[in-house]
Amino acid sequence: MILLTIALRSVWKNRRRSLATLLSIAVGFTAINLFSGYIQDTYTGLRLTAIHYEGLGHVTLAKPGFFERGGVNPAKYIFSRDELQRLRRLVEEQPEVKLTTPSLGVSGLVSNGKISTIFLADGEEPESAAQLRALPSMDRTWQQDSLDPRQPSGGLVSSGLAALLGVEAGGAATLLSTTLDGQTNALDLDVLGTWDTGTSATNDKLLRLPLEYVQRLLDTEGASRLVVLLRDDASADAFRDRLQPILKQAGIEAEIRTWEELSVFYRQVKNLFDLIFLFLFSIVFIVVLMGIVNTLTMSVMERVREIGTLRAIGMRRSGVLRLFALEGGVLGLLGCLVGVVLTLLIGSIINGSQLSYTPPSSSSPVPLAVMILPMQMLTLVGLLSVVSMLAACVPARRAAQLEVVDALGHV
Amino acid sequence: MTLIKLERVTKDYRLGRTAVHALRGIDLSFARGEFAALWGPSGSGKSSLLNLIGLVDVPTSGELFLDGRNTAGLDDGERADLRNRQIGIVFQSFNLISVLTALENVMLPLTLAGTSSAVARRAALLRLGQVGLEAQANQRPDQLSGGQRQRVAIARALVTDPLVVIADEPTANLDAATGHQIIELMRSLNRSQSVTFVFSTHDPRLLDAVDRLIRLSDGVIVDKKEAAA
Ligand SMILES: Nc1ncnc2c1ncn2[C@@H]1O[C@H](COP(=O)(O)OP(=O)(O)OP(=O)(O)O)[C@@H](O)[C@H]1O
Ligand SMILES: [Mg+2]
Repeated sequence: MILLTIALRSVWKNRRRSLATLLSIAVGFTAINLFSGYIQDTYTGLRLTAIHYEGLGHVTLAKPGFFERGGVNPAKYIFSRDELQRLRRLVEEQPEVKLTTPSLGVSGLVSNGKISTIFLADGEEPESAAQLRALPSMDRTWQQDSLDPRQPSGGLVSSGLAALLGVEAGGAATLLSTTLDGQTNALDLDVLGTWDTGTSATNDKLLRLPLEYVQRLLDTEGASRLVVLLRDDASADAFRDRLQPILKQAGIEAEIRTWEELSVFYRQVKNLFDLIFLFLFSIVFIVVLMGIVNTLTMSVMERVREIGTLRAIGMRRSGVLRLFALEGGVLGLLGCLVGVVLTLLIGSIINGSQLSYTPPSSSSPVPLAVMILPMQMLTLVGLLSVVSMLAACVPARRAAQLEVVDALGHV
Repeated sequence: MTLIKLERVTKDYRLGRTAVHALRGIDLSFARGEFAALWGPSGSGKSSLLNLIGLVDVPTSGELFLDGRNTAGLDDGERADLRNRQIGIVFQSFNLISVLTALENVMLPLTLAGTSSAVARRAALLRLGQVGLEAQANQRPDQLSGGQRQRVAIARALVTDPLVVIADEPTANLDAATGHQIIELMRSLNRSQSVTFVFSTHDPRLLDAVDRLIRLSDGVIVDKKEAAA
């Protein structure tokens, strides 16, 4: 208690120097929090985009080998109608499951009569797919047309592709592909609308078509994938691990992938941001460490006689060590508290200013926002305070090591 | 009753390759309630001797007994605890902790010993009263005069009821009149509470007050004069 009093008052006595250290800690703390608030916001956005906007759901089931080789030989990896029905019933019995929707991929050429270009398409069940694509929460909104169950030949065209072909809603095109047996097949398509895929790599290729339309095009009654949407709080990984043995027991051969495994883009972004975060964190860590060591080294040098006096009236070496460690901890804690205020302030300014920007490889601007993460901030306060305390132990040890007579003789 | 006993105590300091023999075989003892002064020219070993008695430093050879207990072989922590409970130290330049108030400075030795703050506060206020500084209890050292600071230091040295209070030239940083008052204060505390004082001084005018004068020269005791009490 008396140690804390001395530590606090010494920090206050040297307030100029303390303030400099404290502010560098505060700025570092704020930088870490704002950046991680930003990347968490981005992760959340990307997750919702992958699950709902791109329609990956939480997990996707397909025949073993489909995810690796499904593109080369699609016929081999199709669930027949009966297989699909059984699988769907089994999955929908699971308590975490909100809905399932089958999907069947196709690729080929799309033509407007004059020019042709390649397309990639997913055939989906209009009603359940629309539910999958609807957003669960209100704080993010996007406009996305859905397929119309009353229009069996109606599809959606990605905006880049629509521009390429010069078609818009109400227009028409022809799709050319090969059936699973290898016959060339062509069907007319009514363009119901266009949408932005969000990724420049796919915005000039993708189509969304009714499942039955794709089944006609490929001449099959099955589907290649079953996409599963879980309730909000359920974990995709846990569900996958739980479902695997259930499928096995039912004698159904299927592979399960989570959205994170399927979304290469999400993983790339996350890996990059996590790396930048680590880099930033290391810098702040070093700044804090050096700031504390430096400040307390000065403090110890100025207070050699005080240390001698404390020792002469009976403070043990461990007491001296604790005193200066405490001083480091106080500086660290105060720095973090100032950092909390700064984070909240700057964070609410950023969130309130409605800024938006276009991230790399994205085809449209997204709002710039930072998440305020109380638990993480609290952890960081604790962590940096402890780090400050440990850093202070370096000069504190020197202080504790002083011989009493030498320290007293010091002027 | 013998409180402190030194037997054939020597103290050498190393200065590069040569050794300085600051004390060369001191035999000396103090009884409870003594008021003794070390006197001698600069460099004669007064500070060295007081540092040994105060357990602030260790002898090069010889033995030091405190209240019958041999202090040789005590580890650093035990020496700190003994300084805390049994020794009071008054410094030439007061050495108050600048961020603590007068009262907190006086409480400090008790606080370090783990005494509850209520008890420590009561004891400290009592001691501050004895040195006439009750009114200044909540002032910081930089708000006090030199004489007042030394009084706080004396109160701090007394607060644990130590066996002995050592004071190395306690008046050297004070003007003559204030210095005299400090010696008077120590003298009266010695008389009224039988606190044992051992101090060193250059100032011949202070020597009239002492019971016992120990003259040092070049690290040896040259003259022990017992004054009439
Ligand atoms: N830390 C030290 N290192 C080396 N020599 C020292 C040290 N401390 C004291 N000495 C030497 O030991 C001898 C005795 O010194 P001491 O300080 O005990 O004398 P003193 O009587 O207190 O002198 P003064 O009246 O000047 O305070 C002196 O020669 C001094 O130079
Ligand atoms: Mg001296």
